[in-house]
Amino acid sequence: MAEFNLPINSIVKPGKHFPAPEGAVNTRKFSIYRYDPDTGANPRVDTFDVDMDTCGPMVLDAIIKIKSELDASLSFRRSCREGICGSCAMNIDGVNGLACTTALADIDGDVAIYPLPHQPIIKDLVSDLTNFYAQYASIEPWIKTDTPAPPDRERLQSPADREKLDGSYECIMCACCSTSCPSYWWNSDRYLGPAALLASYRWIVDSRDDATGERLDEVEDPFKLYRCHTIMNCAQVCPKGLNPAKAIAETKKMLVERRV
Amino acid sequence: MANLRTPLSVAKGRGSSGSGTEHFWHQRITAVALVPLVIWFCFSVAALPAMDHASITAWLSAPFNAILMIAAIIAIFFHASLGLQVVLEDYVSQHGIRTIAIIVVKLLCFLLAITGVFSVIKIALGS
Repeated sequence: MAEFNLPINSIVKPGKHFPAPEGAVNTRKFSIYRYDPDTGANPRVDTFDVDMDTCGPMVLDAIIKIKSELDASLSFRRSCREGICGSCAMNIDGVNGLACTTALADIDGDVAIYPLPHQPIIKDLVSDLTNFYAQYASIEPWIKTDTPAPPDRERLQSPADREKLDGSYECIMCACCSTSCPSYWWNSDRYLGPAALLASYRWIVDSRDDATGERLDEVEDPFKLYRCHTIMNCAQVCPKGLNPAKAIAETKKMLVERRV
Repeated sequence: MANLRTPLSVAKGRGSSGSGTEHFWHQRITAVALVPLVIWFCFSVAALPAMDHASITAWLSAPFNAILMIAAIIAIFFHASLGLQVVLEDYVSQHGIRTIAIIVVKLLCFLLAITGVFSVIKIALGS
């Protein structure tokens, strides 16, 4: 059955408070999920008072400032700080997003920061995305052809066919969509999730790919694909403004069309 | 002991079952059928002269009403069994319990559909 009784150490307890340095006047409270599986202690929510007069405008600026000035043990992933690497995906103010492209000004009141929902935690805001990446690999995200490329030039694609890839090739695999999806929470062992299915669709509609049928065969499954119930959280949270739900619906449509 | 299978092998699992589209398609067809059937049912029951046993059985004895009622019963229980199966697959994670629950729901829907159809026929043919 569903997990009605959570394991004892999954209960999140109040944590430490880190006050702002002396003299800070314009402070803002950040509540951040902390968990270290190695200690065996329960997860906790630490609160940090951050001096906003010396803090950058984005959520990532604030957590970097917290790590540099208040608690160096805070763990999170980050790299490009411009919304293209997808490393700093986390649950900010109850919504999945990239810390680097989420402005602090767009959040009302205190800022609550949790890791991506329903994934194993490595430490603090670093979630274990092993299964998420493996699911991406399982859809074989590379071109598959039976015909060799012309010897003197690349494979051609008409501008109209190239346009079909718009809205699916831009995915940065940050996992905001999949980890916001209730179907993915309950069945991520079998449901591929919006990110992998968007990637699958990107290759299904690629005019240069010869494996369209095999790709459709591969996702035609009550769990891999049909766990999507058009909840649309994926489209709502995607930091790149993509719509995985539409790609999944198009995939279902193609599956129906090829048998009706 | 930690799972020694590779993450890719775990993600691939037992592969694709090659089904699900039929389920999805049938759920849509029954949903489309139920739109006019439910509207018809509500309006024609509301239009009955009286809400008593005699007027209901008289209404159901008309062949047109009996045929649409049987169609509605079949569509409702077919749709319900498909929908409940999805709910069980979503929320019951223990595989054994899930399988038993799906079997019970399917058989129950089948039994209820037959009961409904038989009742309509019995009333319509007046025996």
